[in-house]
Amino acid sequence: MNGVHDLGGMHGFGPINPEPNEPVFHHEWERRVFGVMMAAFGGGHYNVDQFRHAIERMGATEYLSESYYEHWLASMETLLVENGAIGKDELAARQAKLAGKAG
Amino acid sequence: MPVITKDLVPVLVNTGGSTRVDKAVAPRFRVGDHVLVRNINPAHHTRLPRYARGKRGIVEIDHGVFVFPDTSAQHQGEKPQHVYSVRFTARELWGPGAAERDTLRLDLWDDYLDLVV
Repeated sequence: MNGVHDLGGMHGFGPINPEPNEPVFHHEWERRVFGVMMAAFGGGHYNVDQFRHAIERMGATEYLSESYYEHWLASMETLLVENGAIGKDELAARQAKLAGKAG
Repeated sequence: MPVITKDLVPVLVNTGGSTRVDKAVAPRFRVGDHVLVRNINPAHHTRLPRYARGKRGIVEIDHGVFVFPDTSAQHQGEKPQHVYSVRFTARELWGPGAAERDTLRLDLWDDYLDLVV
């Protein structure tokens, strides 16, 4: 798909600044996303191509403004809802609970 | 449904879940072949970047047989086929303003390519 993810040859994104001694994870939640992703993949919920495609199906604004592991999380949410492993309402309720907005 | 087990974890983490397939599939190209990348614009997943479409390159390495991402991403089967490292000149991709000696290699699936005769 000719999505915003296909960045090769595009201008205007500024310099790439590699981080010296970059850690594997910048935040604890990234470690958890990595683990859940591997468990769901190993559990047969999706293959690597479906996983990449679900990242590409993110909204263009979200894709460009969110981080690497946020892409992973978005992809898992999409695929696990689509294959029925979790309900859309269930996901929304959990997100609301974590955000401290509702029980 | 398969379940991830403790002994699977290091394999998954270290290989990233390779899509190499142990199947004898005939390659459509040989190392040294001149190829033209198909100008296709599928609405679904593909590993063919836009900037390479319609460009000419040379097959440098045959990596072997892999799952075809375009069908795999759509639950339409593995369609196993050869993947090649194809060399392009920067000038072929980016025009006369690119450095003359620069080259770029892309891993491309059989179905992305046609032979230049």
